[in-house]
Amino acid sequence: MADLRFLIVDDFSTMRRIVRNLLKESGFADADEAEDGVAALQKLRNGKFDFVVTDINMPNMNGFQLLAEIKGDEKLKHLPVLMVTAEARKEDIVAAAQGGAAGYIVKPFTKATLEEKVTLILKKMGL
Amino acid sequence: MDTPETPSNSAPDVHQKIGLLTRQLHDALNQLGYADKLRGSAGELPDAQNRLSYIARLTGEAAEKVLGRVEQAKTQHEYIAAETKRVLDALVKDPVATVAKGEIYNHLVDMERVTKEADEHLTEIMMAQDFHDLTGQVIARVVTLASTIEQQLVQLLVQTAPASALPAAAPAPAAPAAQERPHLPGPVVDPENTPDVVTDQSQVDDLLASLGF
Repeated sequence: MADLRFLIVDDFSTMRRIVRNLLKESGFADADEAEDGVAALQKLRNGKFDFVVTDINMPNMNGFQLLAEIKGDEKLKHLPVLMVTAEARKEDIVAAAQGGAAGYIVKPFTKATLEEKVTLILKKMGL
Repeated sequence: MDTPETPSNSAPDVHQKIGLLTRQLHDALNQLGYADKLRGSAGELPDAQNRLSYIARLTGEAAEKVLGRVEQAKTQHEYIAAETKRVLDALVKDPVATVAKGEIYNHLVDMERVTKEADEHLTEIMMAQDFHDLTGQVIARVVTLASTIEQQLVQLLVQTAPASALPAAAPAPAAPAAQERPHLPGPVVDPENTPDVVTDQSQVDDLLASLGF
């Protein structure tokens, strides 16, 4: 489980660092970062990742667009995508679920919430 | 030599002129389609106030949280230093007795507990920095609102200024009618008065569960 590689996508470097550190504390030390959907897709298509944690509200390509790109790509669609966002509207949560997101966390969140959701998703995937 | 008008004679005239100007401005705003737009922007000002209050609250809470956790961590740090010195002194004074009484073992167990607690404080200090992300998004919204209002006011000035005051080749700004109000995503700053939003993670989980997740 600790060998899994995460991609953290958020336009705020502070949040990327927070998520990265929390994942490390939870035993997932292998993580890379991207500042928006465009950079994320490039990294996903050129590297090997097992899990995507993404914000929604980002420039260039937002989290919903990234989710659609991932789920529409034969080579990437197996990747679990966990949305971690300040967007608290119900329609966004429903849209994320319908778009194939594996989970949804609203900011601000706790270490326990992130750990719980990641573990739950991995368990559902049999990992 | 002209005789200056007395105030009593000029007042009704001035009032009439002000009234006329006001009517002209009102009509001009309506004809140019600015009345509703400016009213709309003005209506967003309380929202901007809410957002600024949200920023003040969030940064204040983050500062309080960090200071509280730092104070607790410093107390623990002082405890670790004092205990380590005490056990070290005892070990130097009488190594056999110190080990035999289990002081070394107890100290190590104690240190494991305290350092774990200190680590939790560090994690919370790190988590408190999420205010940067949340307030950053809200600030972006307020900046967008300020920019919209500025644009509308400049447009109003340009279109209502006398022809002589305008530079001949001054490019006309984009028509306000063509400007769509931007979508302003980000944190909900007033969840109690915002329909169809969740206020915590448990509500997200409940909603997802209702969708079969």
